[in-house]
Amino acid sequence: MIGLAFLACGLALLFLGGLGLFRFSGPYERLQGGGVGDIGGSTLFLVGLILHCGWEATGGLLVLLIAFFLFTGPLSTHAIAKGAFVRGERPRGRA
Amino acid sequence: MRTAVLATLFATALLPLGRLWKGPTLWDRLTGAASLNVRIALALAAEAAFAGHGILLDVALSYALLGFLGTVLVARFGERGQR
Repeated sequence: MIGLAFLACGLALLFLGGLGLFRFSGPYERLQGGGVGDIGGSTLFLVGLILHCGWEATGGLLVLLIAFFLFTGPLSTHAIAKGAFVRGERPRGRA
Repeated sequence: MRTAVLATLFATALLPLGRLWKGPTLWDRLTGAASLNVRIALALAAEAAFAGHGILLDVALSYALLGFLGTVLVARFGERGQR
């Protein structure tokens, strides 16, 4: 039951992150929406998968997948943002 | 349950696919591709956990690793420019 709640929260966060990735204006805003939604949503989804299907069905590989997403999500976001900044994309100012 | 979760996951994968389709710059397309990779790896993991195919977990881990590698490589390539 709590596994289903985690799964639903993860799917909702993935949907909201995708919506931000699709609807925001400007590369950095889209990067923020996509990155945050991906990391939080995938972590919640995999925790829900472990809780719903049991430890025996998946082993420790899902924990490894969670750790992998937690490490590499910020890394890829940083690589994309650094590339965009070096190539001359600038964040829009407040004025 | 398995069908509902996978259908919802693929429905959430349509939005990064749209950004990958029509993003104006390379960085938008790259962000969409990274998010799409995450969702495909999650779908593989969900199929493995629901149906009991343990081998698909290894496939999901390898897919996530290769997707991250591709994202970083394309970002570095685009950063360096045309020279």
